[in-house]
Amino acid sequence: MTIHQPQRTWRTLLTTALLLLSTAALADPAKIIRIGAAGTGTGGRPVQGGGSIGSVNIQGLLEEEFKKDGIKVEWSFFKGAGPAVNEALANKLIDFAWVGDLPTLIGKASGLKTKIILANGVLSHTYLLVPADSTATSIDDLKGKKIAVFKGTKMQLAANKILEQRGLSERDFKTINMDVATAQAALATKDIDGAWLTQGGFQLIDRGIAKIIYSTKGQPLSQTSQANLLVTEEFERDNPQLVQRLVKVAVKSAHEISLDANRDKTLQEWSKDGVPFSSWKKEYDGTSLKQRSSPLLDEFFVAFYKDALQSAQKYRMIRGNINFDQWIEPKYVNQAVKELKLENFWVELDAKGNPKAKRGG
Amino acid sequence: MIKRLTPIAASLLLLSTVAHAADADALQKQINELQKSLEALQAQVKEQATAKASGEAAAEYATKDELQGLTADLENYKYQVQRDQDTKTAKSTRALVVGGTVQARAGYNSLATNNAVTDNRKTSFDIPTAVLTFTGNAYKDYDEGRNLTYALRFGYSPQSTATQLLDTSNFNLLDANLTYQILPTISPDTGRLAVTFGQQLVPFGLEAAATEDLKPVINNAQFVGRLGFGQRQIGIGLSGDLWPEVDYGYNYRAPVFQYIVGLVNGNGPNKSDNNDHKDFIGRVAFTAPAEYNSWLRQLTIGASVYLGKQNLAIGADRVGQGAKDRYGIDVSYNHHPFGFTYEFVKGTDGTVSGTKAKPVFGELKSQAHTATFFYNFGEQFVKGYRAQGRYDDWWPVSYQPFARYDSFDPNTSKQNDKVNITTAGLNIFFAETTKFQLNYNRRDDQATKVKSNEWLAQFQYGF
Repeated sequence: MTIHQPQRTWRTLLTTALLLLSTAALADPAKIIRIGAAGTGTGGRPVQGGGSIGSVNIQGLLEEEFKKDGIKVEWSFFKGAGPAVNEALANKLIDFAWVGDLPTLIGKASGLKTKIILANGVLSHTYLLVPADSTATSIDDLKGKKIAVFKGTKMQLAANKILEQRGLSERDFKTINMDVATAQAALATKDIDGAWLTQGGFQLIDRGIAKIIYSTKGQPLSQTSQANLLVTEEFERDNPQLVQRLVKVAVKSAHEISLDANRDKTLQEWSKDGVPFSSWKKEYDGTSLKQRSSPLLDEFFVAFYKDALQSAQKYRMIRGNINFDQWIEPKYVNQAVKELKLENFWVELDAKGNPKAKRGG
Repeated sequence: MIKRLTPIAASLLLLSTVAHAADADALQKQINELQKSLEALQAQVKEQATAKASGEAAAEYATKDELQGLTADLENYKYQVQRDQDTKTAKSTRALVVGGTVQARAGYNSLATNNAVTDNRKTSFDIPTAVLTFTGNAYKDYDEGRNLTYALRFGYSPQSTATQLLDTSNFNLLDANLTYQILPTISPDTGRLAVTFGQQLVPFGLEAAATEDLKPVINNAQFVGRLGFGQRQIGIGLSGDLWPEVDYGYNYRAPVFQYIVGLVNGNGPNKSDNNDHKDFIGRVAFTAPAEYNSWLRQLTIGASVYLGKQNLAIGADRVGQGAKDRYGIDVSYNHHPFGFTYEFVKGTDGTVSGTKAKPVFGELKSQAHTATFFYNFGEQFVKGYRAQGRYDDWWPVSYQPFARYDSFDPNTSKQNDKVNITTAGLNIFFAETTKFQLNYNRRDDQATKVKSNEWLAQFQYGF
């Protein structure tokens, strides 16, 4: 059969174009808040402890806050941690992200249009673990050995700072990129000689699989890691009131978890992510939950990120630069603190990490 | 506490009765030491009582019952694992991943098919492809990742139209090869070099080298089948890359330079060579050195060459060998949410006519253009996003409309013999390994001056 219709080709292309446009019209960002988290719980469960946003998620506080407006809250917990958060941001798939310092800096320096609006899980520690029967007792003992680190995450930045302090670098080891779950398994099977991990590593110690040979506990605050909540510039521009309401919920939660009376309850709640209560306790032993849960974007936070950028540039993790004045936006957290009458609750730290006089005090 | 203190009190009494026989100072010293021990014991008892009262100490230790419960759980688990392994687990000598891809299709063609076994057919249901794959490690190098891997792939596909009503649905061997990573693969920062030996896809251009599960369009571009790239070949190939651009902040790796060289029989799969000439395959590709969040991400320009010989015959008599050369260039820009690919291919095939005693050799030159544009709605192709922690069997539902223009000129020296196929389609990804495809093909055969319309709807699922 012969059909003489030369316009058919153009009609086909036009149909495809219309199909593209109609599908594009489906999105309605004002009716959904999409939050990405850098990491998952053990076994890939969509829960993560640590910080006020972890509690906000576990308790369903944002869902409750926005239910009356018909706004859906969608959480995404990424197995690929910080790098996956950046990938999602680059493809405009999330509006907010709970993520660590290094991936936040990499994302911004590479052009992601974001703003940091809340400190969320600060002063966290990094540990160097080795198999339980390893003869290594110090970082130097591991020179030339296979050490795992999850590259592109806050652990990599912390590890590099620690190494630099000893005149070492990643190149002094056979540094392997492994996610947390893989590194933990590799330590258990002794496929690697060491791994840089966070509080999740305590499980291995409890099971007699590994031991810590270096911890940032008791070290200068510059060796700790920070995490934050960021929002895309586009979402903030279009929905500043939603941003303010979300931050207020987070600050209220930060206050709850900062109270000593709630310490065990909070750590038990966070253990829903599969990191046992005992591990959370060990991570927070000797430190104040109030200090660790501070949502303030204080002088220490800003100075830490500025210093972290320089360090990351030096370690060749970042090429670009960042205008900090336009990036770190404290107005939402300050407003929330004021509305909740918590001006005198958290102690701000100065650029060196020393407590400043209380707000208004 | 009383039990512990009683012996100490008795000792004090005894000491007091024999005090007259000892030096008073020494006695006083002993009394002081005993007093200290007594105070230390009292403090220890008090501390234990306080800890118990706060409940903290009790929370630190498991009871005997709890330990027995845990032990019983572990034993039950071990028993179950052993039992399942003995009776319900498939085993292999080495690490093995079993997978597969199946297509189920419904089609309509405005041009009826008529031949010896087919009577005026316009519609049909088909299983165009069913592939069963076995892959794994023959040797795993834990130190540097210089692994030795194997692939074994069997596939079914329907026979030619003339015979497809006959039951010829036997599985054929598609891939059977070993790959050794010559360079370490443990770090993404370093270049790669691998050697593959056995039956494998021909790494020519974009479409010919893609496996069944990765092709956006249901039908292959015409040049794939017409120029012989639809068949696997048996031989050896070296593939590698140099200067990888690694962006750990996005978990992204893109080598700036990729290369492939290889030698194959040139006679297709599951057959020995039909001449002593080995066909050469070469490919180079340059990818823009760009970070993930750059507009240049995944912009690649490639060039491929296939230089071979084919036997020429007049009737059943071989009279010599002729060229089987292919040259191609390709451009791909796969930048989510949209992507574009273009391939230009030229072919030269030796021909023969005349008689066995006086053969006349010639060449047939052909060429093809294929361009595809697609746009993704959804997160199917965002690797980091789709790898989420979820309680359910979540997968981001994605829609991929596309358009393709495919042109093949079988003889460039002849006018008006091209076949142009314009395709519009939609892929819907609704589960991790499953997609629904809808294609509309507008075919314009200039040689026969026949134009036809074809609709294809297909489920492709994998496991």
